[in-house]
Amino acid sequence: MIRRIVTVVEETVTEPGVAAAHPTRRAGAAAVIANPWVGRGLVDDLQPEVERLAPGIALALCDRLLAVLGGVEQVEAFGKAAIVGVDGEVEHGAALIHTPFFGDVVREALGGTSIIAFADTRGPAGTSVAVPVWHRTAAATRSHYQTIDVRVADAPAAGEIVVIVAASTGPRPNARIGDRRTDAATITIEELRQ
Amino acid sequence: MRLRKIITTVEETLVEGGEAVSPVHRVAIVIAVIGNPWSGKGYVDDLGPGIDAVASALGALLAPRVVAALGAPVEAYGKAAIVGLDGEIEHASALIHTLKFGNHFREAASATTLLPAVEKRAGAGATFDIPLKHITDATVRSHHQSVEARVADGPRADEILVGLAAASSGRPKQRLRAFSATER
Repeated sequence: MIRRIVTVVEETVTEPGVAAAHPTRRAGAAAVIANPWVGRGLVDDLQPEVERLAPGIALALCDRLLAVLGGVEQVEAFGKAAIVGVDGEVEHGAALIHTPFFGDVVREALGGTSIIAFADTRGPAGTSVAVPVWHRTAAATRSHYQTIDVRVADAPAAGEIVVIVAASTGPRPNARIGDRRTDAATITIEELRQ
Repeated sequence: MRLRKIITTVEETLVEGGEAVSPVHRVAIVIAVIGNPWSGKGYVDDLGPGIDAVASALGALLAPRVVAALGAPVEAYGKAAIVGLDGEIEHASALIHTLKFGNHFREAASATTLLPAVEKRAGAGATFDIPLKHITDATVRSHHQSVEARVADGPRADEILVGLAAASSGRPKQRLRAFSATER
């Protein structure tokens, strides 16, 4: 049962003080749910709750992102995260986001094929997490490495989990660090030690 | 107006106190991060020119966005201005406590009452609570509520956050007795 859904969109207009080359919009959607494993000791098999909960949460969050970003064709990068309340295990958050019951729904809904960037942590209500996103079909696309800050003021309670999906419509506002094809030859550790 | 970024947040409350909330309670917040128009000018006695340059444009930018983000008729509303550490709270107040700013929201929401507000000076990443009250009768107790907001990297010392908030209904599961003249 989802208690609350928080959706945030960040539009960068100027950075730093000049119009952004890429007026990228980044969005995050967070669902607050009761941790189904808390108070039960070490639950060995997390799969039943994952199958029951993860797909619906993933779809609800992707639908929020698609609504605020303007459709799947707008999405260029994606990511995910979980913040587990202090009475739970980080493993509980991992269970909800690191299986196909979550990831495949996110990939299909957001039109991606890559592995999904992620963060997971445990903390009190109001913990913010910088959710990493990267390109939805070419994860090594350097211009799209970015994060979006997501936070729910009153969650997670000790027995709750905040589950997050994030997406971006493009690269960083003024991405200019090249990519693998434009890199100069790198320095070697041997050279560094001389 | 030196606009750096705009952050839009929508909170949907589906469950409160373990009970379903129907219809779902929605609150939208839109915050602009702008340069403080009086930054670096020392003590400016007449804030009028700065207000004229910024306040109406800011109201026109934020009001339609918060109404659209809410996606439902606005029943309660509020506003906020958080000034960075090098500015004065008077700078924050100047931008939001003028009809040039607030009337954009009143018109967009078909509202008539005063907009409740929070003003504060703070560092980047500070949290602040935006108070909201009913849009046509500020004594409607069911609609007294607030929503927490935060911008991770603002306001810088020379910036101001200006925000509007709108709610689709009173508090989730509100059940206090109605306000009356005989029962205060």
